[in-house]
Amino acid sequence: MKKISLAQIRGNRKGKVIEILGGINLQSKLMNMGVYKGKEVTKLSHIGLQGPVVIKVGRSILALGHGIAAKVILEQE
Amino acid sequence: MIKKIYLVGNPNVGKSVVFSRLTGVQVISSNYPGTTVELSRGYLSMAGERIEVVDLPGTYSLEPTSGAEEVAVSLLKEYPKDEIAVVNIIDSTNLERNLLLTLQLIEEGFPTIACLNMCDDAVHRGVHIDIKKLEDILHIPVIPTCAVTGVGIKLLIDRIKEVAPTPRVKFLHEERWKEIGLIIGQVQYLEHRHHSIREALEDASVRPLTGLMIAGGVIYVSFKIVRFIGEILINKIADPIFINLYQPVLERLTFNWQETGFWFHLLIGDLINGKIDFRQSLGVLTTAPYIEFGMVLPYVISFYFMLSLLEDIGYLPRLAILLDNVLHRLGLHGYAIIPILLGFGCNVPGILSTRVLESKRERFIASTIISIGVPCVPLQAMIFGLLGQFGGFYVGGVYLVLFLLILVLGSILNRTLKGYSPEFLLEIPPYRFPPMHMLGQKLYFRIRGFLIEAIPVVLIGVAAINILIYFNLFNIVSGIFAPVVHGLFGLPQEAIVALIIGFLRKDVAVGMLIPLGLSAKQLFIAATLLAISFPCVATFIVMWKELGLKDLIKSTLMMIAVSLIVGATLNFAILR
Repeated sequence: MKKISLAQIRGNRKGKVIEILGGINLQSKLMNMGVYKGKEVTKLSHIGLQGPVVIKVGRSILALGHGIAAKVILEQE
Repeated sequence: MIKKIYLVGNPNVGKSVVFSRLTGVQVISSNYPGTTVELSRGYLSMAGERIEVVDLPGTYSLEPTSGAEEVAVSLLKEYPKDEIAVVNIIDSTNLERNLLLTLQLIEEGFPTIACLNMCDDAVHRGVHIDIKKLEDILHIPVIPTCAVTGVGIKLLIDRIKEVAPTPRVKFLHEERWKEIGLIIGQVQYLEHRHHSIREALEDASVRPLTGLMIAGGVIYVSFKIVRFIGEILINKIADPIFINLYQPVLERLTFNWQETGFWFHLLIGDLINGKIDFRQSLGVLTTAPYIEFGMVLPYVISFYFMLSLLEDIGYLPRLAILLDNVLHRLGLHGYAIIPILLGFGCNVPGILSTRVLESKRERFIASTIISIGVPCVPLQAMIFGLLGQFGGFYVGGVYLVLFLLILVLGSILNRTLKGYSPEFLLEIPPYRFPPMHMLGQKLYFRIRGFLIEAIPVVLIGVAAINILIYFNLFNIVSGIFAPVVHGLFGLPQEAIVALIIGFLRKDVAVGMLIPLGLSAKQLFIAATLLAISFPCVATFIVMWKELGLKDLIKSTLMMIAVSLIVGATLNFAILR
């Protein structure tokens, strides 16, 4: 088990969300879109070094700005 | 007694399509979140009564986290709950995410009916939902629909009157998600499928390397198609009609007229070598219709055909991801590409759709960039028509200047304005292939909108110009601006008229340049200046409404400064 942010984790890897840093607004935004503590997400890709991160949650594909991705902490097996 | 029906649902589930089906009112729908930035209202006849239907902006939850969501939620609370019906539109291909809002609606006591939309697409993707079981669990009517083909809409209308508040315990979000997981386990069955080509493409277009290649290809091909269709419409349809049909009729009718008279001057304009020349005569019945129908309309059709196709397929959000890096340097995020692309059609809807951006700062930057650096289709069509004869080099030059301008202007604004550029968080829709009739309807709707707005302005504009020219009134104005236009930009004094007309309509303004016989360099400068300088009056008004007077003035001052700098630079430094 290791903790790693969505910005750091490699593409095509899965992880379980264990923490979302940042304000309540961001947390509830992500929560509303289905990204919350305990949810499994798969990173699909990362555009450029500081670019957005594309993930798959359930049946949705979400794109997160780099700054937001860095705040989503995953637990990787 | 139901007095109002609200359409509520997550972004991009097809609310607007259902709305059009229920009310017969045509609204623009696309395959990306945030197409609906204005409320649409229409009426549905139910049991002999007209009930108002309101299409609300998409929201993920009843606890709003953005401006558009706030609008949706506050409107829901406008009327007592026993006087409204909520039609909760759900994307069947993604039931799990959609159920959060459904549960909240029920918990809050809204009389709700669920509409499982896009059920045909769900079947294609191997998603099967047990409707009966879902009804039993939620205790509300659940109707499977496919709004683009109309399947299920009648049943939906029939059952709207069944809605009633259903008691339900309120949950915290996390518990709600847990419950949704349980519900999904009972009602949804996923067929195991191999990756389809569609899914492989969806995937490839959001990966850096393949994504950029696809983006390059899509942009190139789109451009080619727009040119191809536009040229065909002009050469095979518009020109033959004007020259072989319209011109003889017009010449016959005006056979006996005095060539120097006021009416001849107003309606026909000047004869070139004794004949009507649609490009140069400048009459209300000659050049005015020719500009709109013969030069601009073909490109309006081809541009909106391509844009609508890309919108409905769902490509644009993917482009947004790829461009996020670049747009961040301009103080925007990737999603700003959508208002910018719409701006290439017409600046007005472009600026309206900046509402998809969250902060005032972003909206200011985006609106300013659009009004200064993004030429609308009518202007582009005229630039092609006019500069094209000197070769692609000049046409490309205008785009290059505008592109650099957007980059420079955006970077400067990003560095000087207070605040920061927010990050984007966006759902990427799956690719969908809309039925052709949907595309046709949307195209028709947009073209009709263009014609209604453009034609009166063009006719009145050309009439006004002719009157002013006939009575020599332009000389007074052009005398005042002559030092700038002639001295700084190297344009003849008469070009001032065109630049001023640009405030009314860009296409007519370029049309005014034709009889002046400008050199390639002068045309290049004038066309670039027309693109940069005053947005047309419609854009101006929208900016005023969207940004407020103070920001409008700021934006306008910037525009004047940029026009002067670019015009002078092009004249003195770059082109010799």
